[in-house]
Amino acid sequence: MKRLQIGIESTKLANGLDVVVAPDATAPVVTVAVYYKIGFRLEPQGRSGFAHLFEHMMFQGSANAPKMQHIKLVNSSGGMLNGSTSYDVTNYYEAVPSNALERVLWLEADRMRALKVDDENLKNQRDVVKEEVRVNVMNQPYGGFPWLDMPPVAFRNWANAHNFYGDFADLDAADLADVQGFFKTYYVPNNAVLLILGDMKPEEGIALAKKHFGDIPAGAPPPFADPTEPEQTEERRGTVEEKFGTLPAIAVGYVLPKRRTADWCAMALLDQALHGGRAGRIHRELVQEKQIAVEAGGGIDDLFGYNGPSQMTTRIIHKPEYSSQAALEAFEAVIREVQQNGVSADELEQLKVKWRSDYYATLEGGRGGYMPKYGLMHLLACFTLFDHDPQLVNTILDGFLAVTREEILTVAKRYLRNEKRAIVFRTPVKTSAPSDKKEAA
Amino acid sequence: MATRAVEVAVGVPALAPERPVTWPKRTRARLSNGLEVILAEAHSIPKFHGELFFRSGNAAVVHRAPGLAEMTAIVARTGTARRLSRQIEEDLRRTGADLSSSAGADTSEISFSGLSEFAEPLLGLVNELAREASFPQAEFERERRQKLEEVKMQRTEPDFLASERLRKVLFGAHPYAQVAPSEAQVAAYKREDLQAVYREFYTPENALLLLVGDFDSSEMLKTAENVFRKWTGKKPEVPAAAAPANPRGRRVHLVYVPGAVQTQILAGCHAISRKHPDWVKLGLTNSLYGGAFNSRLVMNIREDKGYTYSPRSGVNALRQHGYFSVSAAVRNEVVAASLTEIFYEMDKLRSLPVPEAELADAQNYLSGVFSIGLATQNGLLSQLSVVALNELPDDYLETYRQRVRGLTPQDVLATARKYLDSANMQIVVVGDRAQIGSQAALFGELEVYDAQGKRLE
Repeated sequence: MKRLQIGIESTKLANGLDVVVAPDATAPVVTVAVYYKIGFRLEPQGRSGFAHLFEHMMFQGSANAPKMQHIKLVNSSGGMLNGSTSYDVTNYYEAVPSNALERVLWLEADRMRALKVDDENLKNQRDVVKEEVRVNVMNQPYGGFPWLDMPPVAFRNWANAHNFYGDFADLDAADLADVQGFFKTYYVPNNAVLLILGDMKPEEGIALAKKHFGDIPAGAPPPFADPTEPEQTEERRGTVEEKFGTLPAIAVGYVLPKRRTADWCAMALLDQALHGGRAGRIHRELVQEKQIAVEAGGGIDDLFGYNGPSQMTTRIIHKPEYSSQAALEAFEAVIREVQQNGVSADELEQLKVKWRSDYYATLEGGRGGYMPKYGLMHLLACFTLFDHDPQLVNTILDGFLAVTREEILTVAKRYLRNEKRAIVFRTPVKTSAPSDKKEAA
Repeated sequence: MATRAVEVAVGVPALAPERPVTWPKRTRARLSNGLEVILAEAHSIPKFHGELFFRSGNAAVVHRAPGLAEMTAIVARTGTARRLSRQIEEDLRRTGADLSSSAGADTSEISFSGLSEFAEPLLGLVNELAREASFPQAEFERERRQKLEEVKMQRTEPDFLASERLRKVLFGAHPYAQVAPSEAQVAAYKREDLQAVYREFYTPENALLLLVGDFDSSEMLKTAENVFRKWTGKKPEVPAAAAPANPRGRRVHLVYVPGAVQTQILAGCHAISRKHPDWVKLGLTNSLYGGAFNSRLVMNIREDKGYTYSPRSGVNALRQHGYFSVSAAVRNEVVAASLTEIFYEMDKLRSLPVPEAELADAQNYLSGVFSIGLATQNGLLSQLSVVALNELPDDYLETYRQRVRGLTPQDVLATARKYLDSANMQIVVVGDRAQIGSQAALFGELEVYDAQGKRLE
């Protein structure tokens, strides 16, 4: 078994900024990112969607690089850039030919130092974000299902339960004072990590980081709301209307074990057993064997990238001739089976090989397929911000490869319980005429 | 057109000297059964990626049924003479592999990736799928039913409806006009039809195997010979295709989706295929127009006016014909305003030479992004497949950046005039007729369709 070992160096600047570098001269390309430890989970109440809107504002102009210059300077250096907002982090990243490394660091430092935006920029990006929500959610069949539908049903703490893309009224209410306040509170070097991956020497990367970021003053430690959920003791259900699609859909989410525990590792492999593509039990049973569902998949999204309550969520779109009840029962049969019999030794071996293979693929490319080392960047950032240990990227695999059959059986019984789950029914307004109602065998 | 002056950044560090871009050596070979193989080493992770392409796709059999090659590819992975579907899926997992099979207009393909340590068993499975797929009756029935739901679902997706309509308008009687089958056509698929396509298309002489990853090329070549050598078959006949439509004058094709809260705009015109000598010029022109974040269209209708989140233009290269298109999902009130800007930027690029500095920025962008493809196995694989499938020169990767950098404002002007055919753009809008019909009609004669493709007016 060939193990991948990533060379990593890290340091913390006097202002609290973590810096992580991972050299690799395979191609004359460098990936740079700044991650801030604030996502949509802990955005201010009454300002749903603000963390994401704010992310857009970070492209609207900074101390010495006015509007359009971030985009222009990265593109014209031969690079790509973007940013994204998730539960517990917001990232800004670029992949550029390595001769543009210093330029990109200058740009990232400039917008960490000061944001220079006005009302016109805010109005512009508010409009852009609304079209983003329309194109991804409001004007799409099954838009936002289940990532936006599930939280208000599953969770009780506003932090976990609100609309992460934002209610339009909240987006409209956000003003420049909110923007600058959020920036001052959370976008401080002591709440961030800088990553430099690819074609550079580690000492060069760290020296450039000090040169450009070293004089940005630290801020007060950011106050974080408590995202803890009250213990869930009963099943929760909700219904959302589907405006365009004609097939009924169901999402079932189970609360995950705490990050970086043995249960968490076992749950990840159980997730692979259930949701690992066409070999996964849920697809096999619901789509291939019983043929109730047209689509059945999902699972744990971004295992390493959350730092608060989260779920393993199955997404099922089923044929109209089966009732929701019948589809749910077919799903439950899969869960019962794994709770009773666990997984075989052979299956566990397969799961581990696949898990290792997927992990390597994530490090090389990852979510943003076109961005080299997106996955490595994301993992290094999360391991630094949440666990203070970027080297986990080389060791974390051990915990997953050590999982036993007994542990999988235990977590199946402990976490896949009805009182620990939430169900969302996405119900079409227009149904395609079912030939006859069938109940699952 | 920005309504306020663009300010410049102060104190930006200069670029360091460019580091050399070295494309990996490609090993080309032909196996004893005629299968063409191209290999390139990339040792970034202990994995490898591969594609087994067949140079025939949906277009070649559209007269039998649209989407037939796609359906063939889907069912081909569900059983072989030796393995049932479940066995195939478990064997993939056992070798840490992912595999998918699909077909586009011009090619069918089996794409795969897996751990290098299990290269031989994975290639063995690919060989089986290419050579001994058994098309089990039950799997065929199930996949056909799935496809039926999928084609219904597509008709609720604005971007699908837009591209389906544009392809019909641009290609008319040519097979490229058909991007998806109807429900009735799927219902009429027969297992024997799939098997016939499989026998014709899935032959070593019609195929190309590309492998990129963590392996030794000469060893991998031996493995490939060993695995694939017993597979035989000839190139299929290529049917002649009708000439595409040649729509003149701007027309507007509205696909009516009641209750849509946004409008999908897609406009397009005929352009060129990848092999055309103007391809690089058009790539650069497109990048200036709307092919990059820093392009004129994105800066105008997103960053200045906030009409849309994701405007983009692109050149769509099919083997026989290519087309240029521009898309944006905009709020309903600004459909006319967005189209105005879309044509304003097009006409501006057709009328005035691009300033040197802007051109240099776009040249740097294209050449830089091109070399980023080197950094991942998958990125490299897709670059190699473009070169091989389009029979581009062997040094295409090595010379591309130089060719981009050699272009002038006059080249861009001439290219825009030739291919950004503003006067004959076909405009598709997908949305709520009551809210956008009168806005859309300002841009040309209006035809209205429903989501099923039925003409309403």
